[in-house]
Amino acid sequence: MANKTDNSLQVVGLSKSFGDKKVLKDLSFTIPQNDFAVICGKPGNGKSVLVRSIMGLETIDVGQILARNQDVTDEDPGSRNIGYIPQSFALFPHFSVRENIEYPLDLIKATKQVKDESVVRVSELLKITDLLDKKPNQLSGGQKQRVAIARGLAKETDVYLLDDPLVGLDFKLRERLIDDLRLTQEKLGVTFLYVTSDPLETLQLAKTVLILAEGRIAQQGLLIDVYDKPLHLASLTTLGFPEANVISGSLQDTTFESTIFKIKTSLKNGSGAAVAGIRPEAVMLGKQSGAITLTASVTLLENLGSEIVAYLDVSGTQIITVVSHRDASALNALGTKSATISIKPESILLFDSQSQAMIGTGAALV
Amino acid sequence: MNDITFTIPKSSVTVLLGPSGCGKTTLMRMIAGLEKPTSGGIFFDDINVTKVSTRRRNIGMVFQYPVIYRGTTVKRNLELPLLSEKLEQKEVESRVRNVAELLGISASLNTLVEELDNGTRQKIAVGRAIAREPKIILFDEPVTNIDITAKLELKRSLKEVFGRLSQTIVYVTHDQTEAMTLADQIALMQDGVITQCAPPSEIYTLPNSQFAGWFLGNPGMNFVEKKHLKISATAISAPALFSQSINLGTQASKVASLGVRAESIAVSSKEISGSKPAQVLRKSLGIGGQYLLDLDYSGVNLKARVPHALGKEVSNQVWTTIDNDKIIFFDENGSAI
Repeated sequence: MANKTDNSLQVVGLSKSFGDKKVLKDLSFTIPQNDFAVICGKPGNGKSVLVRSIMGLETIDVGQILARNQDVTDEDPGSRNIGYIPQSFALFPHFSVRENIEYPLDLIKATKQVKDESVVRVSELLKITDLLDKKPNQLSGGQKQRVAIARGLAKETDVYLLDDPLVGLDFKLRERLIDDLRLTQEKLGVTFLYVTSDPLETLQLAKTVLILAEGRIAQQGLLIDVYDKPLHLASLTTLGFPEANVISGSLQDTTFESTIFKIKTSLKNGSGAAVAGIRPEAVMLGKQSGAITLTASVTLLENLGSEIVAYLDVSGTQIITVVSHRDASALNALGTKSATISIKPESILLFDSQSQAMIGTGAALV
Repeated sequence: MNDITFTIPKSSVTVLLGPSGCGKTTLMRMIAGLEKPTSGGIFFDDINVTKVSTRRRNIGMVFQYPVIYRGTTVKRNLELPLLSEKLEQKEVESRVRNVAELLGISASLNTLVEELDNGTRQKIAVGRAIAREPKIILFDEPVTNIDITAKLELKRSLKEVFGRLSQTIVYVTHDQTEAMTLADQIALMQDGVITQCAPPSEIYTLPNSQFAGWFLGNPGMNFVEKKHLKISATAISAPALFSQSINLGTQASKVASLGVRAESIAVSSKEISGSKPAQVLRKSLGIGGQYLLDLDYSGVNLKARVPHALGKEVSNQVWTTIDNDKIIFFDENGSAI
């Protein structure tokens, strides 16, 4: 019997191919106990294959999956004891909400008492107590998804896999469900492994984050560490909203040069192709001392209410920045047609074009 | 739909915004003549068109999925709607050229539509709607189903087109960012009623209802219920949240809640004069690296938006100052006072 307090989840050396196509490449990671871990990757990077492999719905080529420190690689999905909350809320239309929630418990022939207790527990958690006797077609989209989450939590366990459960839901529902999910995980004190391609969801939910790129874990760490110190280009571009700016160029000794700027770097013997990564918030409006100054034309101003996302063009290179409505001087510097922008060299991260690894930072103006 | 009366100004962009099921699509379909109102009328330039067929209303429409002819070129697609207009060939050519230029698809005129991404196909659908030069052009969620990679360019193009067209544009979406980006005025809908009709910045900063305050913004507005407020004959105070009391005159007695946006709460890691203490329950990252703090003021929970460096630095306790000018008061029906 596994130690009751150990609810970690581990993947060791997992590979999976479909024909010639290697989808997951020697993946290893550990999700510590009671973590809210988010695997974030752009579409087509192997997220759903990874989810299916952990659940046991996909046979893997090599590797091991450990739940609670026990090897479950050869166990069938039902005996892995991993809670599963799927992407689409396929509720049984002819069942009531209560019957839908009880369904996974019926499969394991739970007693009526266990079922009743479970239904009370999860319906209070997700605030759907007054919906229990309704049928799915009487519910709104958000209510259906809350029922689906409740059903996923009904079978009491301590490790849950959430497969992009908010995808396709509208903005306001997601806002509410994000709060619900965070509170639920805190209250239950269980391990959540959450998979998504949405950067805002990742930022709002994750304690730790795993960046999945081209079938590999590019970086794992505390959310803030990965955000502030991306070690891989995918960490920078996958995590963050709006998406970070990526500008191609080349290194020569101590300098980096692109078509729109040239800077001194932290490197001594740089050479070859490299990319500069710049977070939108590092692009400042107006002329600032010690910064690269560029003249940009404005191609679109997206109004988020509290902020404006400005899509700019500097001689054919797109630069995105974000301006708070509170920042009057920045708003003044942002015309509707053109703007002057400043980028501090120190805020520029440099990545090797080939390996995509972080290799240095900007250091000073040339 | 329940007793809606509103006017869409000429040559402006009006966005019908609201959650699913609010009636925005039904309202647009009635403007188009695809749906009949049970009672009431629809007027174009003071002319009652309620009984006029869609075909004769002189409107253009753009739908969620690009409506274009497959197996033919972009140019042919733009010409076809003009054939029934009995125009001279020169006029047809000039309109096609202008529309293509406006949408930035001049270089693709001889391309087969199959070869284009669905964002460009949607641009062709827009071109087909505007080439006939109708008085009113209706857009039903034209960006929603476009591939993520083509969305930005389509929005950019729509913004450009809307700025240059003199027609009246009605645009339906559930996406608040799209609405605030494209609209001259937003008609916010809930349960078949238009609850507020105003320019984007006004509807965001001065919501006339709790619904508008909640619906716009990510996160929506924070609300504080009456039981946490001290209401005197003429003034409101909330000792846990802010130190001053706010004079509302005779309106004070109607107050049932107050609302404040996350960015209107100034946060400091140290106590400053007039600030109030709050516990940080949770913090998370958000737009442009800013932090969102879940704060607790002895039982009142508010979300505050703070810059990256400050958010990173703060731990359990912060001190906040709420900008009184940014507080909105609501009555028991949720209407702004």
